[in-house]
Amino acid sequence: MDLDRALGIAARGMEAQTTRLRVIAENLANQDTTGSAPGADPYRRKTITFENRLDRQLGTAAVRIKELGHDKSEFPQRYDPANPAADAAGYVKLPNINSLVEVMDMREAERSYSANLAVMQSSRGMLTRTIDMLK
Amino acid sequence: MDQKRIDLFDLAERRLAWADRRQAVLAQNIANVNTPAFKPHDLRPFESLLQGAHPVAPLRTQPRHLAGTLAVAVPNEVVDRAHAQSPDGNAVTLDEQLVKISETENTHRLATAIYRKYLGMFSMALGRAGAG
Repeated sequence: MDLDRALGIAARGMEAQTTRLRVIAENLANQDTTGSAPGADPYRRKTITFENRLDRQLGTAAVRIKELGHDKSEFPQRYDPANPAADAAGYVKLPNINSLVEVMDMREAERSYSANLAVMQSSRGMLTRTIDMLK
Repeated sequence: MDQKRIDLFDLAERRLAWADRRQAVLAQNIANVNTPAFKPHDLRPFESLLQGAHPVAPLRTQPRHLAGTLAVAVPNEVVDRAHAQSPDGNAVTLDEQLVKISETENTHRLATAIYRKYLGMFSMALGRAGAG
């Protein structure tokens, strides 16, 4: 039945956004994580992409995680010779995380999540009314 | 279906099936609001389904013919013409989709109400007051 599918699709959408939120939390928590050895790379920003693929269990296409990747942009550097991760010239590589971008991403994930939730509530209402026709 | 009779039950049933299916299509759109290069889909309006009341369907004239695997009355899915597109090629607009969702919900509400009322009229005619 299609309403069941709608519920399943919305659930997958919520799942995907939850994973996205987890990645964002990881990035935000690690925005000051530098390497421990001199000249070592700091924490690299993680990225997430979605795709719409056939879900055999659901019998229809549903959104899922395509790839958890890494942001390949360059690390900003800061002059800090006292840092254990400073290289010979005294520069420390910092994580390539912009907290503003992460917070905006978080808001978007939140918004998408609630849209999926709205679909779920509406589908559930339709299901209930269909069952009520039996009474 | 007999064309001369207005079969309200049949009509309501088809409308419900349409709303069911549309809900799944819209759920798909909203779940993919952040999927790169995803284009939103939609169903043809119910009115256009009514005008072409009898869709062309393959007929089995020989018992040895293969039976089709597609249901005959599947409403066609079309790609929604996209108004705006984000840089990653995704063309889903969340508010537009949510408006469609509530539209579908109202349609469904209307069809179930009609179905119940009609059923109630049958009950009344059969002498069971208060039913429906």
